[in-house]
Formats: sequence, structure tokens, C-alpha cells
Amino acid sequence: MSRLQGPSSLKRPRPGSNSSTQALTEHEHIVYELIRSKQDMGIWTRDVKRETNLQDAVVNKSIKALQAKNLIKEVVNIQSKGRKHYMAAEFEPSKEISGGAWYVEGNLHTEFIEILKKLCVKQVERLKIATLEGLHDSIKRSGALNVDLTKQQIEQILRALVLDDKIMEVKSNGLGDFTRIPVGKICYKCVSKAGPKIGAMASIPCGVCPRINECTPDGVISPHTCVYYKKWLEF
Amino acid sequence: MATQHGIKFALHIITNHFGNLVAKVCECLLRRGPLSLQHVIRYTELSKIQVKNSLLVLIQHNCVQAFYLDEPDAPKSTQYMVLFDNIIHRVRFSKFLVTVSQEFDKMCVDLTEALLQHGRLTLNQIHDRFNSIQKEGNSISLDAVQENLHKLVTSHYVERCPLSEPVLTQPDQDEVPARKRGAKSSKIIVEPETLEQRVIAAAVPVEAKRFSLITDDERNADAVKDKCDSCTEHVGEKRKYDALESDVDSGGTEEQAVLWRVNFDEFIRRLRHKACTENIRTRLDDGAAIVISAMLEASRKEEKKVKTAKSAPLSLDSIYEEVIKNEMGRNMTFDHVRASLFQLSSGPPFVIVEDDSYIIDFKCIMKLAQSDEVESVVLKRYGKDAYRIFRSLSEAGRLLETDKISDTVFVEKKETTNILYKMWQDNYIHMEKIVVGTTIFLLWKINKETLWKTVLDEMFHAALNLSIRMAYELEQQQEVLNLPADRREGPMKVKFERLKKVRMLLESSQMKLDDAIMLFHDF
Repeated sequence: MSRLQGPSSLKRPRPGSNSSTQALTEHEHIVYELIRSKQDMGIWTRDVKRETNLQDAVVNKSIKALQAKNLIKEVVNIQSKGRKHYMAAEFEPSKEISGGAWYVEGNLHTEFIEILKKLCVKQVERLKIATLEGLHDSIKRSGALNVDLTKQQIEQILRALVLDDKIMEVKSNGLGDFTRIPVGKICYKCVSKAGPKIGAMASIPCGVCPRINECTPDGVISPHTCVYYKKWLEF
Repeated sequence: MATQHGIKFALHIITNHFGNLVAKVCECLLRRGPLSLQHVIRYTELSKIQVKNSLLVLIQHNCVQAFYLDEPDAPKSTQYMVLFDNIIHRVRFSKFLVTVSQEFDKMCVDLTEALLQHGRLTLNQIHDRFNSIQKEGNSISLDAVQENLHKLVTSHYVERCPLSEPVLTQPDQDEVPARKRGAKSSKIIVEPETLEQRVIAAAVPVEAKRFSLITDDERNADAVKDKCDSCTEHVGEKRKYDALESDVDSGGTEEQAVLWRVNFDEFIRRLRHKACTENIRTRLDDGAAIVISAMLEASRKEEKKVKTAKSAPLSLDSIYEEVIKNEMGRNMTFDHVRASLFQLSSGPPFVIVEDDSYIIDFKCIMKLAQSDEVESVVLKRYGKDAYRIFRSLSEAGRLLETDKISDTVFVEKKETTNILYKMWQDNYIHMEKIVVGTTIFLLWKINKETLWKTVLDEMFHAALNLSIRMAYELEQQQEVLNLPADRREGPMKVKFERLKKVRMLLESSQMKLDDAIMLFHDF
């Protein structure tokens, strides 16, 4: 699908934007048109230089001028954060550039995600058995968030919680707790155990030893000389 | 599947229990596979009598099985095969004894202990042993011993010893159609694992005899009687046993001459069942655990081998009947059992529902338990984000691209790459590079088969280390241990108390680790 048709990526041109473009120098005009043509993908400064065949100093000067006139903006490209990346002011960075809904200025919005995770777990606990739609609804109605989340976003959070082993997926059979849920529908419920179980290997030094491959009964690293063992058996 | 550290651990056990000489012979067999006496002598450079005695010790303790391969190109002498699993079982004896003690009284436990300690015993030997450790005037009758032995044999915890030297003939032609077409040299090629299974299968007495207390004399009498009746189907079968018997046990016609040993298979099966139940308990709840335990009990008779993938189908009624046999189960209503069964089948399918019958999916339960074990190592070694990444790869079961992984697990792309790279370096995951134009895409996957092998090998390594450390601790504190209790004061007392704690921690870790080894190796 062409990005041109994407309603979210295209914004109405600012009033008076025409007048400022008219006041551009020839070089500024070339640079601006190139940046603008890249729409919500924006462009890296080096690519601007390559595609316009202009000298570095000219391009840098033009970019500065265009920025001062609020015609272009610098955006963070999460693929390569160190690179200077520009986009025409009227566009919002695409998902590829911004990292999607979960990124803010090129950084993963971890606090927000954590809040959402906690909220979802709480709701699943409250509902006992929850469907995606039910959760989406109850979170909306709870008014705990001042932003609207899409169903897909909630689903992403739920997937992550399943991977965290905090909740699990179950299929409805239409009985008991599932009476109101169609048979076969995927539902979520909290796992009964508290957090991941610590296995036999994980609870002894050898299980997590970074030097296990170098450890031999009579070697320099051995169960006799092991520093991890020493610490473990300190009573 | 004996891994490198598995072999080292097995040798450590044998050295501890039987000394260096026996261990040398055992090592030769573990590393080189089945060998004739002559070959063992040549490779170990020990004297004939030393090798012979070592082999006898290993056979007595069920760690070696002799056999004769009656195939055209096979060597014309008795071969000795080491039984790796049986060596590892030696560290589980305490678990076997606990299992017996939960079902039977002390005498059965003592009887099992005697067999574990001595490997193979006749009824008379067991009786003698009992009386030699009893206080005077408290002698135990042969009948009492026999009665208890009978209990253990009936429950399959004890069995008759396998044939001392089964003859393996070439499998039937139609069983191996591929071999017919193969080159001449391929005739002798036998997969080592298959050979072990073949030898064990050939050595095990037929089911009816394996767990039979009837003496050969009685059997002969029966056979004669059956002959007279000549109407039952079993007559022929029974005569066949007799024929087999007379070939092998020439002269051994007395009941007292029958050698008995512990049936490891049955113990491992019980421990497997226990592991299933406990796994369900931690994953779901007590109700589900009671139901699964009842199902295991009800379908037990249908189970033919230890590593059964699925149980026999059971009806709701038969499950409920079994549930209420248990004290805890009596609290459960029919609906409660039904709900638990649903719980067991609605998430990961621990129980499969087919036409109103319920089937335990052992494989599914074991697979998840194995994943839990590996994932908990990942969590501890690489952290929470890695745990999530690992689980997403494990769930996908196919190649995934870095960005895709990063999006699903909510970890920054750069960090995701770092974590993946670290796990890849340690052989926890597999990587593939795809170059499209100038861009390189990294794809990742978990190769369970190789990873599980690596993990098992690390477990054997860890078990070996725990055992070595334990010996080291005891050796270090020899002075404290030799001191009488009343003279342990001041720093000596502190040392003693520390040693007690160290011992407890090491021992419990050994037991737990062994559970995990069984999960990956025996279940």
C-alpha cells in the first residue's frame, strides 16, 4: 500500500507553508523537495548529499536553514540512532523509523509497557477468565489510561505476559467459568504458580557457571578450587 | 545415550563403589562398546583373572550383560555389554527405597535394600542375610521372607534375573528389508542402541516367568497337568518356557537357586508417574494432581514400557472410581473431577479427550517439564529479557528474525541482538544469516534436540562435580568428623555445624539434580 494514501501519515499542510517555500534558495529548494519526497520515511543526511550531488557544506547549510524555517525536522531512526535523519515537518515518522507505537523518540517506552502489563494482569486476575475483547473493554472502562489502546496493542501486551509466564492461554469449553465465552475461543488466565520455577540446575553453581567447559576434576578450575562453590557453601 | 560427562559420572560411581580395577574394565566397555573377554584383557592390559573378576562384579550388580551374537560375521565369543543406565541408577537407591516404604512394611524395604546392596540374591541368601543381622532369638522364618518377596514380585519391584548369556540371532529377513539390498559390509552394522535394546530384550525372561514365584518343579508339574487337560491355549507357551529353561539353567531346578534382583524399570516408571503428578500440581493445582495420579494408577496395567508416550484411554467413571480410592480424592465430587479433567486438557494438552475417553499425554507433560528446567537456567544465566526471548523462540519452533523477536518481547532491538548473540555463543540457540542486497538479516532458532543433549551432558557434569565436592568437604573435615560428639566444642563445634549444613545442601542438590537427569534421560 502506498504511504501516500495513509491517512495518519499525511497531515494537512500548515497554513502559510507555501510562502516560506517561496523564500527558499535554489539549493534549499532541492534539498527540501528531496526530503519531502521521502514522506514519512525521512532521509539520512549522507543520502541527501549523495542524491543531490551537492557539496557537504551546502547541504548542511540548507538543512539548517530549512530547520529554522520549520519546514523539516530531525527524527530518530531506531535502526541507526547515531545518524542524522530528517523528515518534512508535515509527516509523522513511519513505524520503521520510530519503532512503532511502543517507542518514544527512538526509545522503547518501557515504563509505559510495565504499567500496561501490571494493568492487564490485574484485570485478568479480576475477571478470572478473560478474552482479548473483554480485556480491551474493561481497560477502557476502568479509565486507568488517558490514551486509547487498540485491540492489537493489548494483544501484544498479553503475548508478552504469556512469555513472562505470568498468564496462560486456555481454550474455552463453554462450561463453568467459560459459560459466556464461545467454545474454542482463546482466553487468558493467571498461572497458578508464582513466577518461573527454579530448576535443579539453576539452583546450583554449575548450572549457571560461565566456566563449566573449562572445569575438570583435576584442572585449574575444579570442584575443589571453584570460587562459586566456595561462596555457595559459606555458612 | 551416554554423553561424555555421563561416562565420566558413571565411572566416578563405579570407582567409588567397586574401586579402580573394576572401573578400568567398566571404562573400557563404556568407551569401546561391547567386547569379548580377550579384547577387554588386551585393551585394559590387566590379567585375565583381574578382568574376569571385575566382570563378575559388574554382572553381579547388573551393570554388565553378557550375550552371544549368532550372526554370520559376528565374533564367535561371548560379548560383554555395559549397561550405562543401571550404573546411574546406583545413585537413586535411596529413592527406590522410599518408593517401597510408601507401599510396603519394613521387611519389604529391608529385602529391597538387600537386593540393591548385593545386586542379585537367591531366596536362601536373602534369608541368611536377614538372620545374620537379626538379634539372637529373633530369627525370621524362610516363609516370612518368601511371603515378602512374593509381595515385591507381584508388584513388579523385584524380578527374576535375566538370562546370563542370551543368544542373539539375526533378525528375520522381512524385519530388515533394507539390509538385504545393502552391500556385504553393511550386514554386520548394527546400531549400538538397537543392539543394547536387543540384548536386554533377549535376556529378559518372558513376562509370565519374570514375575513368577512358581518353582520349576511346580511348573513341570503344571505342565504335565496341562498336558493332560490339553485344552488351554497356554500349554504350548508353558512348554516353551520349560524348554528355554532346561537349556539355560541346567541343574538349577530348586526354587532356592533362582536369582532375584530389583526391577529398575518398575522403579523408574513409578518415579516417572510421581514426577508427572508433581509437575501437574505445581502447574495447576491439587485437584488436577489427584485426578492425574488416579489416571496413572488406573492405566498402569496397560503400560508396557517405561517411556510410554500416551496412556490407555479411560472413561470418566473409571477415573472417578480410582479418585475416590484415595483419601484426598474422597473430597472430590464428580463435577470437580470433570472440571479438573477440563483444566488438564484446556491449556497445554496434558490430557487428550477422545470420544468421551481421557488419555494422559506423557510426552506433553515431560516436554514442558524439560522446557521449564532449561528456561530456568536461561533465566538465571542470561536474565529476564533473555528468558522471554528464549520462550518466544521455543514457542515458535522455527527461525525468527531479530526485529520480529524484539517486537514480541518488548526489548530494544540492540539489546535483543546482544542477548541473542550471547546465547548463540554458548550454543543455546542456532543462527542463520540471510543477505538481501546490502542488508544482513539474522535469523534465530532453538534446536531442541542438540540443546537438550548439551543440557543433559552439563547435568551429568554438575552431578559429578557435586559428588566430588561432597567427598572433598568430608575429607577436609575429617578431624571434626572423627571427634566424639561430647568433645566437639568451640571452633570444632562451629566447623561441625557448618559441615552438617554443607552436607544437607549438597545432598539435597544431588537428589534434585538427579530428578532432572531422569527427566531428560530416563523419562
